[in-house]
Amino acid sequence: MRILVIEDDAALARSIAALLRAGGNAVDHVATGEDALAVVAGEPYALVILDVGLPGIDGFTVLETLRRRGERVPVLMLTARDALDDRVRGLDLGADDYLRKPFEPEELEARVRALGRRRGGDPLPMLSVGTLTINRSTGDADIAGRALDLRRRERAVLEALATRAGRVVPRELLIGEVFGFDEPVGGNAIEVHVTRLRTKLAPDGPGIRTVRGVGYMLDAG
Amino acid sequence: MPAETVITDRGAPALRTRLLVAVLGPLLAAAILIGVVGAALIADVVRRTNDRVLAGALGAIAETVQVERGEVTLDLPAAAFGMLENTERDNVYYRVAVGGDLLTGYADLPAPDPATLAVDVPRYRFARYRDQPIRIAEVRRSLPRIDKPVIVQIAETLDNRGALTRRLMLALLIGECVLVGAAALLLRPALGWSLRPLSRLRGAVEARDKRARPDFSSLDTGPLPSELRPLAGAFDRLLAQLDTATVGVRRFTADASHQMRTPLSVLKVQVALARRGSEAERRDALDEIADVAVRLERLVTQLLALARAEEAGVSAPLEAVDLREVAAAVIARQINQAIRAGVDLILEGDAETRYTVAGHRTLIFEILSNLIDNGIRYNRRGGTVSVALQAEDARIAVVVADDGPGIIAAYREKAFDRFVRLGSANSPEGSGLGLAIVRSAATRLNATVGFVDVDRGTAIILRFAPTPS
Repeated sequence: MRILVIEDDAALARSIAALLRAGGNAVDHVATGEDALAVVAGEPYALVILDVGLPGIDGFTVLETLRRRGERVPVLMLTARDALDDRVRGLDLGADDYLRKPFEPEELEARVRALGRRRGGDPLPMLSVGTLTINRSTGDADIAGRALDLRRRERAVLEALATRAGRVVPRELLIGEVFGFDEPVGGNAIEVHVTRLRTKLAPDGPGIRTVRGVGYMLDAG
Repeated sequence: MPAETVITDRGAPALRTRLLVAVLGPLLAAAILIGVVGAALIADVVRRTNDRVLAGALGAIAETVQVERGEVTLDLPAAAFGMLENTERDNVYYRVAVGGDLLTGYADLPAPDPATLAVDVPRYRFARYRDQPIRIAEVRRSLPRIDKPVIVQIAETLDNRGALTRRLMLALLIGECVLVGAAALLLRPALGWSLRPLSRLRGAVEARDKRARPDFSSLDTGPLPSELRPLAGAFDRLLAQLDTATVGVRRFTADASHQMRTPLSVLKVQVALARRGSEAERRDALDEIADVAVRLERLVTQLLALARAEEAGVSAPLEAVDLREVAAAVIARQINQAIRAGVDLILEGDAETRYTVAGHRTLIFEILSNLIDNGIRYNRRGGTVSVALQAEDARIAVVVADDGPGIIAAYREKAFDRFVRLGSANSPEGSGLGLAIVRSAATRLNATVGFVDVDRGTAIILRFAPTPS
């Protein structure tokens, strides 16, 4: 899924991005609250990771502004502060989760996955479409017990389609969810991944339909 | 009241001992003085009183001495002896003589030398008679047509006087003993009662002791006597000082731990990435780990430097420091960092001038080191950091200037605060401690530090206090 990291410390931002990209996510990074407010509206983020201690506009204000604008994107706050008040304040302002620095990388990954599932309206880690089963915690997928060998990007595309099985997923939305804005997206980037996925899902898995001029749809059941 | 007892093994004497010595000593001396004076007064009063009675009897007898037909006659009045009759034990003697001839009475009562007696003026004296001390009252009368002096004497033994004196003396002694004894006995409870506010004060202090978190608010002792108020006040002021110091330390540790959390997060994430990733990813992660280790090291060094700067120089006297030598030493140490960053380091100053300031070399080194480090760090490749020594009148100053992006004027006030980083997304990781160290060290040196308005970059001036030449 597509994640925005708002963190002023460049090293930590790089680290979090690397960690989450390794988990099959598309990650964008901004260092200030101002930049964050500018990009959140335009991109279909599945999750925002927000550092409280930002220079200029602080994390709380960023969160408050986002929620006032009606942004429903899940927000995971990162803080170096210890105070209970801070955590309460963050959650009350509309944060979905809270993680204190220094955090365990595994915990960050797990919380990111949990928030991503909840956003799709289905908190269960296992996602089934017909014979296809996707474990959203581990990223593993299989068809009737046959494990699929998926690449990072393919996994992201499959998951994006599977959570909306039976519905058309517009091409732009798919690109927005799978690629970060600093990643080069070729004209047929999505087509390449979809074609590979079709091969891997065949013959007993659900098919992926192309809806010309609109996007793609995974057959439900 | 054992709680009130203030006894120390080898310390000063207990308060009760002090009070006992201070009060009972003078009291005892006063009692002795009063005893001695009192005894003298009692003896005097007793003598006078009894002498007056004796004088009355003497007068009554002397009144009756008359001349009848050229003969001296005497009619001894009973009342004269009646006056003396209250004396049950005392013997009364009398003698009336004309010249050397006895008219009546006890012939062997010691006779006076008539020449020493004034006419009609009674005289008193002690004497011995029949192996007993006696008091004699005697008067010389001059009668018409009698050319010899008429001497009238009356005497009594001293038993009554002695008894009266002894009784009065005893009463005085008893009174004094009661006074001193009462004072000695009352001292202990009085001390306990007087010290009760002190034990209340102690209770208030001890109550603090038992709290889990140190509480440095003013003591709640209730109304205190005026003698203890300065003590409680001094204690409260000490508490307030401690409070300030503790708050400072607590804020510092909180800030420091806050500052460690981000690099530690980086460390943990990169370790996780190195464990799972490919060979290339592992190399990247190790690079990041190395960077963050350097960053943590610098943070720790700076935290220590800040703590040192805040402690140092409090008591040590300022010494003469050659600013040019220190600046050159700092530049020599940081030249490699500057070369790596592609930044020129320049020392400017008049070759003829001696830039000697009063200060501590370590602190000045620390200040210049941090300013130059900032200049290099927040600069661009091909930039310059200049260290300019200045001497105007008696004031010596050093300006460290860079031609980097500079600091927005509005942020300058905050720049010297701890852990404030003004950088944007692309600025290198700093601890936000450098300028805090500079300010703290400058304060210790009685120097001032501030921004200089420049068109490009940042310039910070360190002005030393004028040196007495």
